[in-house]
Amino acid sequence: MASALSLFDQTRIARPGLCQILPPEVLALHIVSDLAIGLAYFSIPAAIAVFVMRRRDLVFSWVFWLFAAFIIACGTTHFVHVWGLFSPDWWREGIVKAVCAVISVVTAVALWPLLPRALALPSPAALRREVEERRAAEARALRSEARMSAFIANLPEALFVLRTAPGGNFRYEAVNPAFERLFGLSRAQAEGGNPEALLPPAIAQAVLPRWRQCAAEGRRLDYAAEAETPNGFRAWQTVLVPMQGADGQVDQLLGTARDVTETRRLQLGLVQNARLATVGTMCAGLAHEMSQPLNIATLWLRRAQSGAAERLPQAIAVVEGQLRRIADLVARIRALASAEDAAPVRFDAAPVVAAAVGTMARQAVDEDVEVTLEPAPAPLPVRGQPARLEEALLHLLANAREACAARRAADPSAPARITVRLLSDSRTGEAVVEVQDTGPGIPDALAERIFDPFFTTKEPGTGVGLGLTFALGVAHAMGGRIEAHNPVEGGACLRLILRLDQDPQAAAEAQRG
Amino acid sequence: MTARILVAEDEILAAMALEDELLRAGYEVVLAPDGLAALTQAERSPPDLLLTDLRMPRLDGGGLIRRLREVRPDLPVVVMTGYAPPGGGEAFRRPGEAPVTVFPKPVDMDLLVATLRDLLAP
Repeated sequence: MASALSLFDQTRIARPGLCQILPPEVLALHIVSDLAIGLAYFSIPAAIAVFVMRRRDLVFSWVFWLFAAFIIACGTTHFVHVWGLFSPDWWREGIVKAVCAVISVVTAVALWPLLPRALALPSPAALRREVEERRAAEARALRSEARMSAFIANLPEALFVLRTAPGGNFRYEAVNPAFERLFGLSRAQAEGGNPEALLPPAIAQAVLPRWRQCAAEGRRLDYAAEAETPNGFRAWQTVLVPMQGADGQVDQLLGTARDVTETRRLQLGLVQNARLATVGTMCAGLAHEMSQPLNIATLWLRRAQSGAAERLPQAIAVVEGQLRRIADLVARIRALASAEDAAPVRFDAAPVVAAAVGTMARQAVDEDVEVTLEPAPAPLPVRGQPARLEEALLHLLANAREACAARRAADPSAPARITVRLLSDSRTGEAVVEVQDTGPGIPDALAERIFDPFFTTKEPGTGVGLGLTFALGVAHAMGGRIEAHNPVEGGACLRLILRLDQDPQAAAEAQRG
Repeated sequence: MTARILVAEDEILAAMALEDELLRAGYEVVLAPDGLAALTQAERSPPDLLLTDLRMPRLDGGGLIRRLREVRPDLPVVVMTGYAPPGGGEAFRRPGEAPVTVFPKPVDMDLLVATLRDLLAP
């Protein structure tokens, strides 16, 4: 017992090392294993430390330090265990275990709340995928931007971005090469500059009110403008789109301007040519018309000079008549010349129609086209410019004559006749001039287009297609219209319908009747 | 033998005055108010010269000249027209045919008579 007690005491005071109890091979197994585990445990935190210190961007790096501490603590317990095999000390081992336990528990507790946040971190594979996608998107954007800027640079339409400035002013924010060409302003001059100062005054006057209107209304605006620029005459069509800033106010205008100079020039030229052609025809006609009375007057003066005295009164009458013929012609030229700006007057359409039909009948004789007029039963009071109505009728008649000639060319035995009828309906308040021909009629497919400017079925060089457009313009100006149809008996019939300028009493009577 | 001139002119007052002048110059005159009438007259009494207007109803001067020249390529023709440029007496000649002389209106009567004399000289 005493020996047992003494043994106990000895164990407490100076515990015998397990090295003395265990067989040497078991002891060696423990020592080698514990030392290996401990060394491994010490080397892992070293690697972790190097990793954490090198990777500055590491998130939650404190966790790694905690891991390192925890592993070192675990490793230390193994070394202490080996020490205890030779020199057992329960206090020493207990304290080391306690330190290890504290670090382990802290690490374990700290780890759980971290888990969802750690899981939310993208995995390296996901990161790699993301990076690849981002790179691809960037490449696409770059390609698209390159395409876009190539597109804008090569766009035939002028593009410009305007930034609104206080006081109804603007600044050019960006322009493309087509803009430079159209307005003769280089990009370096334009961008950041004040359009009012940069643009030629004629252009600025034409466009600035439109820009202000677009900015004020906040609505898309289309306009056509033309002006003399440093590069010559320019005509363009612009579409303005307002862009609103964060505050809902229009702070930018996006504009595209299409260069229509050539089209416009062509159009103006054609109109001018049409006028010149009309003037040319008119002059030739006038020369002929005047040569006849001059010829007769000259012949009769000569006759009076050389003949007997009794011929003199006759000659005087003839010469006087021929001079009056010339005077009438001069009056008609004057009327034509002043027709452009003459105020509308009330006049009887019947003599005007008769004059136009007479003119056409004389011309159509050459082509063996018969022109007949069915006169009006009563005067046809209308309002407008007589000379313009006559010109409009001549266009209708010229088309009818050409239709007859076309039919005749295809079929020499076909009739060639233009019938002009004058009708009036006081109930509808309309006067109608019907021009019916024996031509091929208006093809259904073209019926919609015959009044279009520059629409023509004639060979190039023989007509510009403004005749019916002009006639329609005259009809509209006189409160009327033109209708076209193909009558059952063949040919085409154009009806120039004008508003009768009835005096109120007559109109009231017509309504009652 | 008196030379016969066929005058195609639709303006009766002009035709009357021309007839006077030509009669006084010693020619026989046949009048026709248009091209078709002139063709009929030419068949009935063949002329030595055609004096014609260009613009006439039914058959114009151009048509009349073409149709007469088919049977009478040697027929001298004088045209009076308001379409000709000023001057007068310009002659146009096609191979194998008599000349066509053009006078603008109003016609210089002295020049016309002189031209007729030349054209009708034997």
